[in-house]
Amino acid sequence: MSSPSFAEELRGRGDKSLAELFAARPDLLSPVPSGISALAARANSLPSLFRARDVLTQWQFDVLTAMMLLAEPFSEIEVLQLVGKEAIKTVELLWTRGFTYKDGEKYRIPSNVRAVIGDFPAGLGPISTKKLNMKDLKSAPDGAMQLLERMTWGPPRGQVADVKKANANIKWLLENNFLIALDSQNLLMPREVGIHLRGGKIFKELLPNEPTLTGTSRTQKSVDQAAIANISTFIRWAEELAHNWSDEPPIALRSGGLGVRDLKATAEHLGVDEDCAAFVAEILYLAGLIVIDTDDQILPTASFDAWLSREPEERWHNLVTLWISTSRVAGLIGKADGKNVAALGPELDRSTIAALKEIVLRVLSTSTQIDPDLDSLVTLTTWLTPTRANREYIQWILREAEWLGITGQGALSSFGKALLQGEELGVNEALPQPVDHILIQGDNSAIAPGPLTVDLANMIGTIADIESRGGATVYRFSEGSIRRGLDHGQTGDMIKDFLKKVSKTPVPQPLEYLINDVSKRHGRLRVGVGSSYIRCEDEGLIQQIVHDKKLEDIHIRKLAPQVLISETDLHDLVIALRDAGYLPAIENETGILVSAPAIRRAKSRPKPPRIVGDPTSPTPALISAAVKALRAGDKATANKPKALPRTTANETLDILNQYIEEQASLTIGYADNNGGVTQKLIDPISISLGTLVARDHGTGEVAYFRIPRITGVAPASE
Amino acid sequence: MTDGPLIVQSDKTLLLDVDHPLSDECRREIAPFAELEKSPEHMHTYRLTSLGLWNARAAGHDAEAVVNTLLKYSRFAVPHALLIDVADTMSRYGRLRLESHPVHGLVLVSNDPAVLKEVTRGKKIAPMLGLPLDDETIIVHPGQRGFLKQALLKLGWPAEDFAGYVDGEAHDISLNQDGWQIRRYQELAAEGFWHGGSGVVVLPCGAGKTIVGAAAMAHAKATTLILVTNTVAARQWRDELLKRTSLHEDEIGEYSGAKKEIRPVTIATYQVMTTRKQGIYAHLDLFDAIDWGLIIYDEVHLLPAPIFRFTADIQSRRRLGLTATLVREDGMEGEVFSLIGPKRYDVPWKEIESQGYIAPADCVEVRINLTDAERMSYATAEQEDRYRFCSTTLTKHNVAVALAKKHEGEQVLVIGQYLDQLDALGVSLNAPVIKGDTPIKERERLFDLYRKGEIKCLVVSKVANFSIDLPDATIAIQVSGTFGSRQEEAQRLGRVLRPKADGRGARFYSLVARDTVDQDFAQNRQRFLAEQGYAYRIIDAEEVLS
Repeated sequence: MSSPSFAEELRGRGDKSLAELFAARPDLLSPVPSGISALAARANSLPSLFRARDVLTQWQFDVLTAMMLLAEPFSEIEVLQLVGKEAIKTVELLWTRGFTYKDGEKYRIPSNVRAVIGDFPAGLGPISTKKLNMKDLKSAPDGAMQLLERMTWGPPRGQVADVKKANANIKWLLENNFLIALDSQNLLMPREVGIHLRGGKIFKELLPNEPTLTGTSRTQKSVDQAAIANISTFIRWAEELAHNWSDEPPIALRSGGLGVRDLKATAEHLGVDEDCAAFVAEILYLAGLIVIDTDDQILPTASFDAWLSREPEERWHNLVTLWISTSRVAGLIGKADGKNVAALGPELDRSTIAALKEIVLRVLSTSTQIDPDLDSLVTLTTWLTPTRANREYIQWILREAEWLGITGQGALSSFGKALLQGEELGVNEALPQPVDHILIQGDNSAIAPGPLTVDLANMIGTIADIESRGGATVYRFSEGSIRRGLDHGQTGDMIKDFLKKVSKTPVPQPLEYLINDVSKRHGRLRVGVGSSYIRCEDEGLIQQIVHDKKLEDIHIRKLAPQVLISETDLHDLVIALRDAGYLPAIENETGILVSAPAIRRAKSRPKPPRIVGDPTSPTPALISAAVKALRAGDKATANKPKALPRTTANETLDILNQYIEEQASLTIGYADNNGGVTQKLIDPISISLGTLVARDHGTGEVAYFRIPRITGVAPASE
Repeated sequence: MTDGPLIVQSDKTLLLDVDHPLSDECRREIAPFAELEKSPEHMHTYRLTSLGLWNARAAGHDAEAVVNTLLKYSRFAVPHALLIDVADTMSRYGRLRLESHPVHGLVLVSNDPAVLKEVTRGKKIAPMLGLPLDDETIIVHPGQRGFLKQALLKLGWPAEDFAGYVDGEAHDISLNQDGWQIRRYQELAAEGFWHGGSGVVVLPCGAGKTIVGAAAMAHAKATTLILVTNTVAARQWRDELLKRTSLHEDEIGEYSGAKKEIRPVTIATYQVMTTRKQGIYAHLDLFDAIDWGLIIYDEVHLLPAPIFRFTADIQSRRRLGLTATLVREDGMEGEVFSLIGPKRYDVPWKEIESQGYIAPADCVEVRINLTDAERMSYATAEQEDRYRFCSTTLTKHNVAVALAKKHEGEQVLVIGQYLDQLDALGVSLNAPVIKGDTPIKERERLFDLYRKGEIKCLVVSKVANFSIDLPDATIAIQVSGTFGSRQEEAQRLGRVLRPKADGRGARFYSLVARDTVDQDFAQNRQRFLAEQGYAYRIIDAEEVLS
């Protein structure tokens, strides 16, 4: 009886076990496959298998790797013998997830799973085709043993300049079949030798159980206290940064993102380090509270105002949920390796970060009241997700979670927990209640003894400078700050009334004086723009011009009894006045009458166009060099190898399939990234995912060729 | 979250709500590690500084206690990062110690070889050190004690000084409390200093700093060198010491431009100490003339730079700094800390006032509108002449005269910066003028007449800024000053703060020309006093003139 295919086995599975497969590998469901055969094809496709592999724990991955070493079909017992009894459940799980399928009582592996695990499962080479006598190893030269030891834990591959000229040690190993020559340069250590050197084991250590998390223990109360301080601080940073950028918008870099100098200035303004400032900016950017405007200014958006008007809990929730799901890694900003990655720039996306974040937060939520040691957390995370764990990323996630107040003192806070479980957050209750008053003191400072209501904070922000931030805010009134208030359209009386209303303490007299004095001076001088003026000592004539219907078009405004000003330029004004029957004369900038009519001249600097025409004659040296180059090119064309017949992709596919069966060597034309075609001599091995897998004679390695790029195929000429 | 009186800000300032029932208790607990920065009427501001935290470590407070205090009184949750920073900073103090080695003399010791290695590799520090005795001990070159402490402080690894003090030549001094009683805060200040070894006592003008000095001398019972700002102050110190201690006239010497006496208690002026003859400080030997047991620096906020250098050489002698305002316009507070010593006692001005030891004061800023002609001249004046111009206008002169007339019969002091302005005022008010070139004898005679009430009005230049004891001055009129100097404003107010016999309050007028740099400087000048809770009242000059 022939063995069943993967599709047949899947067809035989019960509905429940198919449901389990979909639950573990949701990508198989989008879109829903047309039938079981399609499902099998998709489940055996590399992208889906890579996804499924990424969610395996280290232990599950090791068990799967061990299976690769067994000859198909293999039994559960064989697997358990390799990795231990604890693997029973995992064998079942791997079957559920479609990494194996059943052939009677035994298991088989879908074809592409091996590609996912790699050529050398567990760092072991292929099984030797020759008979090996391990006892001979004892008489191996010292150098030879050292070579083998270096390859023991993988990769089982070595390289020499030329096998034929290899040194005595390698020659001995080759002669005794402890190494296999793959080609003239590459050597492989057979699996049996590897396992022998590993003392019969396959893995250095197997960890069937999750490593325990260690760290400093904290009480939930102190964690929550620290977290709420973090939350209120973070919200304040966010507001502060947006306000700051509204006053002085940074200009985005040409390549996108925030410049280093602006980042530094922002960090200084917030009183935090640059990493933190960059993170705050990133979160605001994610939430759409700031945006890089069309003129490259980075500015708060209208959503920021809407965000400001919400309750703190909602504001926090908005930012934190975005952080959890984002693929942008703020920690990469300003990292020196290679180039400087900019905040708000296009280079911050990393696809694995959200999944890793989820795992780290899950770990934190299962071990509450612990501020984990980084090493311990990295070990645990690596066990949980070997392909995604990254020490640096984990460090950043912890740092950011602390800034956001998901954690406090390093441990998960009640708010973070509620957030992860989708429960009531209780942030509003824990945050200090907003206050609606300030205390003004004799030294012209004002203290808000808690977070201010939004309107109040905005108003005070325009008439006073912030001197110190934190749970409370200390403001200072100065001439400059009052002036700013007046510029914002306040009047001295409005400011005084406002302060009297919101201050719990009487407004000190010096402050009133300050406001009075500044408002008295403010706006006494007026500045505006005008293009030309009309001056006349006869006030009656001036009145006449102001009311002249013929001059309505030139927008004249009276500044003083004897002076009019217009937006129209001098020349047009003169013409309009003359047309209306007046007789104006022109003054120059020093007030002297210009008697001759002004001859018009351009105001900008001369920019003569560049000369376009015949190039200058070349020098003799240049000419002789050019000739030489031409001759050389000619020669090269003459010696070009014979052109291959061009084939379409479909023809190529047919020819390739044919030669794969025949196992013949081929010459192909292959287009590189720049469109240049090179010829390659290859031995085709297989075709998958539109890619030809073949051994390239040129490099001696197995290489991948994309079918559409193959311009033509012909049997090798020899 | 508690409902405590303290708000911990993320910039490491602490705001103390004075009206809170727990504020006194909290103040006592944070005072050892936080520095009082300002104390206006409702919220006092303290600051956590490295110096303050190290100070607390020196006094035996550990980081845990500091953190607990912050958490206990804080109204809002305290940022975790700040707590970690506090613990980190405090742990740096005392890892390096200066000790006295029986064989090798002064040594730098640390139980943490890495720290020792780090600091000894510093370019500035290496030349001060000799050979290492072992991994944890290294010899310090003799005479480098002060410089080394200064340099280590700058590196952020302050050394704890266990090398001790010399006792100096013994000389019996005791307080002679006959008909007067030392005040509680004076006693606390002297004790605070004595237990700390060396350091600075900050008390408001008129609160009796001389007595703190005398009490410190009574603790030391040793020969004492007192450094003061000028000769008049020197004589006042002498008179006060004669009155308050067991010292006799022949035990106290004056070392000034006029006299060069060296006695068991010698009072020298900063000026004579920093006089150079052919580029050499001629009177430096005074520091070694006697084996001094105590050196007192009066008005330590004015200590001239050369004296700092000499002070670095005498780290084995006890040093007491006295001042009303530890604000240095030159930012050398760090030098005062490392060379004289940390602040050992500090009390807000208003607290002493409420105990009745200094007179309550009413500070009034008189805003003067310049005439149109004056405004025009001001606008066209060169930048560097502007302050002089606007603070010496005729309008201001008239207002000053009117104010002095208004207070006729009271003891009035007119204080200013520019001599021609003062001379003119002297003529208009028919009052004597004291300035730099007035002979000491004449100065003393005038001050004496003023004290007795025979002269009602005195016009003084900045020579009278400090240390002049004029108990009955009740009105001070400031017409001009040294630009924006905060400490000058405070010291000038100090001239009228001595308690009056009839318990009257004092009044301090500051005349300011509106819309000029005078107003900007005035605002800066007033900051220290405003932060101490002295609220300025502003009146318009028209009120005075009408």
